[in-house]
Amino acid sequence: MRKSFLENRALSYGIAILFLSLMMLPIYWTVVTAFKPDTETYVFPPVYFPKEPTLTPFKLLFESYPFWDYIQNSLILTTVTTAFVTFIGMLAAYGISHYPYRGGHFVLITLLVTRIIPPLSLLIPFYLVVSYLGLVDNVLSMIIANVYLTYPFAVLIMKAFFDSFPRELIDSAIVDGCSRTGALFKIVLPVGAPGIASAAIITFLWTWNEFIYAMVFTSTSQAQPITVGVFDCIGDIFVNWNQMCAGALLATLPGIIFVFVAQKYLIQGLTAGALKS
Amino acid sequence: MRLSNPRYGFFLNLPGLLIVLLWVIFPAFLLFYTSFLRYDNVHPIIFNGLGNYQKVLDDRLFWIGVKQIVIFSIGTTALTFFGGLIIALCLSAITKAGGLFRSLMIVPWAVPAVVSGIIWKWMFNPDFGVVSDLLMKVGLISKPLSIYGDPNLAMLGVIIADTWTRIPFMGIILLAAFLSIPSILHEAAKVDGAGAFERFLFVDLPLVKGPLLVGLLITTIFSFRTIDIIIPLTAGGPGRSTYVLGYYVWDQITKTLNFGMGAASGMFLFFITAAIAGIFVYYMRK
Repeated sequence: MRKSFLENRALSYGIAILFLSLMMLPIYWTVVTAFKPDTETYVFPPVYFPKEPTLTPFKLLFESYPFWDYIQNSLILTTVTTAFVTFIGMLAAYGISHYPYRGGHFVLITLLVTRIIPPLSLLIPFYLVVSYLGLVDNVLSMIIANVYLTYPFAVLIMKAFFDSFPRELIDSAIVDGCSRTGALFKIVLPVGAPGIASAAIITFLWTWNEFIYAMVFTSTSQAQPITVGVFDCIGDIFVNWNQMCAGALLATLPGIIFVFVAQKYLIQGLTAGALKS
Repeated sequence: MRLSNPRYGFFLNLPGLLIVLLWVIFPAFLLFYTSFLRYDNVHPIIFNGLGNYQKVLDDRLFWIGVKQIVIFSIGTTALTFFGGLIIALCLSAITKAGGLFRSLMIVPWAVPAVVSGIIWKWMFNPDFGVVSDLLMKVGLISKPLSIYGDPNLAMLGVIIADTWTRIPFMGIILLAAFLSIPSILHEAAKVDGAGAFERFLFVDLPLVKGPLLVGLLITTIFSFRTIDIIIPLTAGGPGRSTYVLGYYVWDQITKTLNFGMGAASGMFLFFITAAIAGIFVYYMRK
């Protein structure tokens, strides 16, 4: 059944294709520029279909910048943050959802308010804490910051999924002799897996994409993540645009992969986290 | 053994509660505290009362920031709303390849904001930019344009770049809302002789009002904190034409290193965001 007021399906496809083509233009432009030789990069009118695609920009990028370090830092940072936030967040969401206690409401309200606080406002307090702990220019500093940035939304997503889980199922498992924690791991987790996956993927991408805190907390390639690395390439007087686009493409790759592999989880997670709270 | 055990819930939540205390309550308190200190990384730190707030309010740059963020946020939210609405309406009407279309729709959401700024800087490049070329091909302009030479164009440029990253979220929210409308309502309205546009206005819109407000709220408060796109794209220029409030806070922290004023302006940024959220929540309750 048609659900929209748009009756004409051909028109819908037409507008959608036109609109999405425009939306894809920046991505397309980044991809083609990343594979262009200099002669096709710096010309006007620009070359839309490179005649001599080359890997030189990637080669030069890795030769002139410590890009492997950036990638490695980003991977460590995102993996640790995602594992930590997803695990603790899962327990918290399960508790708020199925074991109401006095502090639960307080936690929930705080999490909602936290989403309103601009991360930029808390940059100073986090910087003070991180420098007090001696963690400036250390990957740990960004793990600390990203827990604050991602935790509230991860809990809200998982809570929305656990809320729809029938309480009776847990109760009957406990009556049948299953421990409460056993019920969590044997019954709730398998059924709530999509919610947990959504939260984990969104946490991963947000952490991977974070820039502001990383920019202030790090200064050398021993801690800088890929977003800061790509930005640093722009710092010179002359920008090597094809190398720049190669770097931009690498920084965007996890996002693009998840969007196509796990589109369903992303959409479910973003909708649940935003609407059901 | 009681099935619903509050104490078990408390233990389950202990780590979560600890995170809220350590990661939210404590930094928020520290921000509040720092905003009352003379903390400029030059003089010794002393208590300064409301001095920082006074200085921020007297600062011409702060008010430039307020003006630019209002323009920026209204522009971004309006464009995002129309963009998200168009794509959500189209995608709710199609059946084939829906998954692919939805994936394509959310790609910009997954691009790091700072990378979006870099990509758009390249697209808007005055010498080799693809935007200039396309606009010339369509016949809208006769010679390559530079967003860096005209304050209004610069603002429009950052609004377009930011809108590009925000349309996916709005699209997702609205698409979910449209898909949840029972088609029987449309059939009924059609029987009553309502045209396509009337059905959109009187059937669809009232039913998606809640999600729509949530989408607008999140887009507005997120556009208020945008600087990662602006930093690479225009760096606040030319002539502070894209110097949004967040940039003012950013400069206090990274350029002048005045943490006291940075904290005070961060408090203002929070107050404004909270006020906007309050207005939206009030309308959602109604």
